[in-house]
Amino acid sequence: MNPAATQSARRDWLGIVAAVAILGAFILALLSPPDRVQGDLTRMLYIHVPTILTAYLAFIVTTVATIAYLVSRRLSWDRLAASSAEVGVVFLGLAILTGMVWGKPVWGVWWTWDARLTTTALMFFIYLGYLGLRRGISDPVARARRSAILGIVAVAQIPIVHFSVTWWNALHQPPTILRPGDPQIDTPLLIALLVGIGAFMLVYAWLVARRVELERHEAARLDAAIDDAAPVAGDAITSPSLDAATGPSTRGAGT
Amino acid sequence: MTPSFGAQLRAVMRRDLDRERRSGEVLWITIPFGAIALILVQLSVGADVPVLRDLGPGLYWAVVLLFGVLISVRRTTVETQAQRDLVALLGIDPAAAFAGRALASSLLLLGFQLIVGAVAVLFYDIRFSASGWLAMALVLPLAAYGLAVLGTLAGSIATRAAMGPALIPLIVAPLAVPLLLAATESVEGLRNATGILPWVLLMITVDLVLSITGVLTARPLMETQ
Repeated sequence: MNPAATQSARRDWLGIVAAVAILGAFILALLSPPDRVQGDLTRMLYIHVPTILTAYLAFIVTTVATIAYLVSRRLSWDRLAASSAEVGVVFLGLAILTGMVWGKPVWGVWWTWDARLTTTALMFFIYLGYLGLRRGISDPVARARRSAILGIVAVAQIPIVHFSVTWWNALHQPPTILRPGDPQIDTPLLIALLVGIGAFMLVYAWLVARRVELERHEAARLDAAIDDAAPVAGDAITSPSLDAATGPSTRGAGT
Repeated sequence: MTPSFGAQLRAVMRRDLDRERRSGEVLWITIPFGAIALILVQLSVGADVPVLRDLGPGLYWAVVLLFGVLISVRRTTVETQAQRDLVALLGIDPAAAFAGRALASSLLLLGFQLIVGAVAVLFYDIRFSASGWLAMALVLPLAAYGLAVLGTLAGSIATRAAMGPALIPLIVAPLAVPLLLAATESVEGLRNATGILPWVLLMITVDLVLSITGVLTARPLMETQ
């Protein structure tokens, strides 16, 4: 089997595993007991928390791949950085949306000017700017270098978002799992949440693998387009030969 | 003989300030536009003086942030490729060019802050103690410098990008939030006499990080222009 077919088969398997994991996470989220205070609304958090954590992962991968590109100058790292950022923005958008849907019945409003919510929205716009910048630059090397700077600066937003609930008096609850000490959550709920996090991260890995492959094909198509470029004016002109014995001289041509 | 880094920096800064002196873009367009924005917001909020006094400082900093972006990226967006090539061929150190441009923008932004600040004080009845006004003499330049460096850096990143002029505010505005936060909290600290040292330190840190990033990335960014 050729390497491309092997990679394609691996991606397909990853997709199947991700789909099964999502199904499992969905069933566990339905079977887990309702929260004493929030009731069934707490089930929304089995989507909300995994999506935000997956977005964090995606942006960390973007930064690591960016640094790897700056060290190695291999465009494959840049393609990974871009793909991960793109998928990360989708997950972050989902996290914001699911948070709003949960917030309306619990807080009474779709949006409140809370530190966590505000910094998350800012992170969303920073990465939208990163993707916008990439779309605006056609040269692959210039695009990779310039977006690398923004990619590295932008990741500083992750600790600000995560610790914003600790640094400021926020309406949003403090971290439940990624906190010093033991997680503040009952075991059945924690299991459902962890399975959800794993499932969403598998979906992320599958989407990034697909996106990287698409980027690779796009780069190959652009290279092929440059190689097979249509003839341009001046193609027919050859350099003059100074050796009269081996070929016709162009000196005096046109006179 | 190659001029020193300082001489190159001063030359670039003088060039940008001369351009502004000739065009008057900041003085005659951006500053009046910022003042109008403050007045229009007042119209939409109403004439309740205590409410306006509370909202005034926050609105002032929001206007400084949004219009400051226009000031700090104005030259990058109109500069032609031939002008950039000429600077590169002259052998000007990219870091000196970056620093000179950022410092020129800082001065212009400071002028914007002072004039629009006077409008805010008049229209929103903002009051400080004497020591508060003195502390503002530290807060304003720190915020102006940070915004100018961030705008210059974003301008360098987005140079020659399609949609560049539209893209730069999207890059700058979210990244300027630590500066905006520190500036507004400083003003609140001065009004309530609760101290502003942490916020001043935050602004100094942001300014330093942005300056180092700008200087270190100036050469690779110029190479891709």
